[in-house]
Amino acid sequence: MPDILDVLVTRKSIRRYKPDPIPDEMIDKILEAARWAPTGENYQPWRFIVIRDPETRNRIGDLSKQGSGSRMTAWYCLGELQQRFEKIEDPVKRAEVLRFMYSGEVSEFSKQAPVVIAIIGDLRVGSVDVPYDLCAAIENMLIEAHSLGLGACWVHGPVASTRDAKRFKEILKIPTGMGEYKVIAYLAFGWPREARKHPRPKLLLEDLVYWEEFGRKERP
Amino acid sequence: MDYIKYCNELLSRLETLAFHELSGMIHWKCEFVGVDFIRSKQIEGKTVDEIVESCSKAIAAEGIVSNITHKVGGDGVMLKLRVKDCIHHPKEAQTKKEGIAPYLCPIANMILDRIHDKLKYTTSYLAKLGIDADNKRCLVFMALYETPDKIGQVSDWLADDEDAEFLASQPSQILGEKEK
Repeated sequence: MPDILDVLVTRKSIRRYKPDPIPDEMIDKILEAARWAPTGENYQPWRFIVIRDPETRNRIGDLSKQGSGSRMTAWYCLGELQQRFEKIEDPVKRAEVLRFMYSGEVSEFSKQAPVVIAIIGDLRVGSVDVPYDLCAAIENMLIEAHSLGLGACWVHGPVASTRDAKRFKEILKIPTGMGEYKVIAYLAFGWPREARKHPRPKLLLEDLVYWEEFGRKERP
Repeated sequence: MDYIKYCNELLSRLETLAFHELSGMIHWKCEFVGVDFIRSKQIEGKTVDEIVESCSKAIAAEGIVSNITHKVGGDGVMLKLRVKDCIHHPKEAQTKKEGIAPYLCPIANMILDRIHDKLKYTTSYLAKLGIDADNKRCLVFMALYETPDKIGQVSDWLADDEDAEFLASQPSQILGEKEK
């Protein structure tokens, strides 16, 4: 079996897309990858809504912008967002990044993505693993998209607050009862307009891994 | 039986369990906790000031707090509450004792809920809770967005704020201990 690590380490979140459409066969492969994710007791609680309609994507983009912007504006006004971006030394660049964040524009990209897929969980099927199963499906979809040459980004912002999650459900006509469906996130997909190779530093394994018990760093 | 103690113990257990399961994300998911009480009251007002005053009277009249004062600033985006003698204060202390910064404020949720319902605001956000255990006092900072274009309208909320120093010692929703 081929080692998938090369695919994993070159994936990154892509938020800028070309307007070119994504072929149906690719969408189907991404959904098929989700279908084969691990799922507790094989309950498969995931359901997917594929959204290509520009008007719906715009509404989702607006809700995402509103969710992120409302939080980040407040964090900026309290002086906390600035601390988070202190590592950017160039003051002009830092100001632009901060504005991009607190305006909410950072989360608006579903408007440009040719395909958006909402990932929802059926809470009535009896599964006790719904959020975990959904996240496993999401990871499979991201990896499959990357292997097909597509860019993608996992977005939780517009469903982060309970009020916004209800608005999101209303946009897609998902039943809004708290015991019915859980919207965990959506994924935006498109042909990348930016490099797909991962440019961000990762913590070293030696900083992440313990052996046999918590805190033990030496490999026995 | 001390029913308030009993309810606060339940709330604190739920608050710590939910944080453990969802980490900081839980801050954003509790906005309806407390709203049933305020929805049962006749709250009226045509401005944020009037809504907050109406809510504060109803909340204090039932003995949930002894007093709430408020300030609107930041060109109408900031709402600051000073809450005194809240019956949920022991809940905050218990949650803090578990090593978790309290994030669930029913009082703030009540007031935001009425602002949404009565004034049809676009959105809002509970941004900061400061718990002053010694004085049984809480400070609450919220962002109010009347229209979508208010998002991104930034200013310095803590400039000249009399509680700025105290707030700096309070946990942040987005900064880890090393980042502060």
